[in-house]
Amino acid sequence: MKRKRISRKIFTKDRIIIQFIFLISVLLVGYFVYISIGWNVVVSLSDWEGLVPSYNIVGFDQYINLLGDPVFLTSLMNNILLMLIFVPCTLFLGLFLAILLDQKVRKEAVFRTIYLLPFTLSFVVTGFLWRWMYNPSMGVINTLLEITGLEFLKSGWITDPNIALFCVIVSLIWQFAGYAMLIFLAGIRSIPESHIMAAEVDGASGFQLYKRVIIPQIKASTFTAFVVLMVFALKAFDFIYILTGGGPGYATEILPLTMYKETFAMTHFAYGSAIATVLFLLVMAIVVPYLYSTYRRK
Amino acid sequence: MEPRIKMALAIILTAIIVGGIGIGVTVIVLTPPEADALEIYHWWTSGGEKAAVDALIAVFQTEYPDVTVIQSPVTGGAGYTMMGIIKPLVLAGEAPDAFQMHAGYEGKPYFDADLLESIDHIWDEDLKAAVPDVVESMNMFNGHYYSVPVNIHRVNVVWYNKDLLDDNGIDPATLTTWSKFFAACDTLKLAGVTNPVQMGETWTAAHTFEQFIASVGIDFYEDWINGEVTSATDTKLLEAFGYFETYMSYVNPDHAALTWDDATKRLITGDGAFNIMGDWANGEFFIANKTYGVDYGTFAVPGTGAMYGLCIDCFQHPRGVSHPTNSERWLKIVASKAGQDAFNPIKGSIAARTDADTTKYGAYQKAAIIDFGAVTYMFPSVVHGSGAPEAFKVKLSAIISSFVTNLDESAAASALTSYTTQISDEYTKVWSLD
Repeated sequence: MKRKRISRKIFTKDRIIIQFIFLISVLLVGYFVYISIGWNVVVSLSDWEGLVPSYNIVGFDQYINLLGDPVFLTSLMNNILLMLIFVPCTLFLGLFLAILLDQKVRKEAVFRTIYLLPFTLSFVVTGFLWRWMYNPSMGVINTLLEITGLEFLKSGWITDPNIALFCVIVSLIWQFAGYAMLIFLAGIRSIPESHIMAAEVDGASGFQLYKRVIIPQIKASTFTAFVVLMVFALKAFDFIYILTGGGPGYATEILPLTMYKETFAMTHFAYGSAIATVLFLLVMAIVVPYLYSTYRRK
Repeated sequence: MEPRIKMALAIILTAIIVGGIGIGVTVIVLTPPEADALEIYHWWTSGGEKAAVDALIAVFQTEYPDVTVIQSPVTGGAGYTMMGIIKPLVLAGEAPDAFQMHAGYEGKPYFDADLLESIDHIWDEDLKAAVPDVVESMNMFNGHYYSVPVNIHRVNVVWYNKDLLDDNGIDPATLTTWSKFFAACDTLKLAGVTNPVQMGETWTAAHTFEQFIASVGIDFYEDWINGEVTSATDTKLLEAFGYFETYMSYVNPDHAALTWDDATKRLITGDGAFNIMGDWANGEFFIANKTYGVDYGTFAVPGTGAMYGLCIDCFQHPRGVSHPTNSERWLKIVASKAGQDAFNPIKGSIAARTDADTTKYGAYQKAAIIDFGAVTYMFPSVVHGSGAPEAFKVKLSAIISSFVTNLDESAAASALTSYTTQISDEYTKVWSLD
């Protein structure tokens, strides 16, 4: 009797509509995401150069070329350096801001908005903003240093290859700290009040309270923010493209920029696809463990 | 909320959404695809450039008043940014009716991919007679015409602030070798001009480097663009880098953060005396109300007095455009005497046609037109897309960007020559410059 009811239900109008809508999204996502990724891998195994597509499969030639390409290796190193500095700094700053805001400050919403504002702006806007600020002759940073008598600190900033990447990282931290703060704040706020009160009754206060009670309980938020920042650090394109274009020389060039230049400016489509595939694998190396642990927890 | 009100709201919302979609679809379906429009892409965005392209469009609209011209200007000198936008558009079959391009190698990827229509019929006898042979050949692939030139820019030009030179007793006519040029820079430095030479961002530096290559000899330049300079210890290559290194000691330290026109403006304000830039810089002096020969002047880059370095902008007829008739109309206007004489006087270039009405041109262009007829050699610019494969151009820009910060001659020479070897199969054009 029960079984009959279920089988009848499959053919209800609702069911058909639901499956139809589901099918559309599966097809669209499948084509535009998964088939495109697969196609990219196929292109990376070909010898496609110029605007005419060529699917003449030559195997792993492009990948072997990558290993001997100083530009690719520089970009990869820059990418790694970016992740190593940008991600922890942003996390610490975000946590610090979240803890500050958690002190029951007055006008908390105002501060929260101020800290989050940079993140809501387009990367193109903030890219231009920082480019003007870093401008060695007219930029606000050097001008301020001059006015305050700190002329010895004046620098070429993004035009000095020795520090350009760090300038990029500083501006990225500025943009993302608010985002990390929001995630941490949500994590802190979701800790039951009773835990904190219990700890306070036991005599924990200030630093100890955060160290032993709050921070251990926001592991999930930390992990989420960590993964999002890592993935961004790998595939940041627009911000750096506007700010430095990868220069001077290759000082701030990262993989997505190299990929773009090889593909669209130099029309080395197969080579660009190979870089895209490497980038994809790197992102997967970060995302897959995250997804795995999330599912396991559930 | 009352269920009835909820229901009413839901119905109104649905009606708005469905109506909106309905109207949108109807508009898209019923509107003919802008039957009388002309969509063009170009990178003429600075003050003088914009005025010039507007003048050209005005000529077009006098002839075809009913055609709406849709301009898509893309910022970024020398078209670095725009080419990255155009390629995916053309590949996707969404090419605009015409787009600005440099004559020579820059059109080759499109030609190879069969994405350009041959326009032999636009190159009638009148046009062929009016355009010099070498310029004509730069618009051809495999014996057919694929583009029309709108102008000729000279790239090997040194611009100078006349007051600064006069005050320090420097006669620009004597600056025909690098040693004399550097001596003049020393004089200026002693007189308190901290950075006698002004230079701009990456591509500007690459542009300057190209002039150093030409200055060591037209034969060497020919070898260079034919992909034959493959030794990192090539004496002429190192000689060019050597000049560039000395040159850099006179250059503004903030060059990497300056656009080309900002660097030129430093001459107008008197912060610098010299600037190597193509003659599109004339537009900047023009809009600043400066007079050629009175406030500023030019001379050929030392060592290149007998040469005219060519940067040629052209337009073409991409395959499968939305408005093919307007595309061809545009090309005819671009190639016409009226179009060129409207555009070039403001742009700072000279017409690609020899029958231009010289009275319309400013003092600089008149001198340039005379030089163009008098020089022994012409060379297609690499940085401006004509002389060498695009991949080389992109790489050159990055290598020079490194060089101007670390001044490591041997690293730059080896990067340059090894890349030439690596892409040797892309050098398909054989240039003969003498």
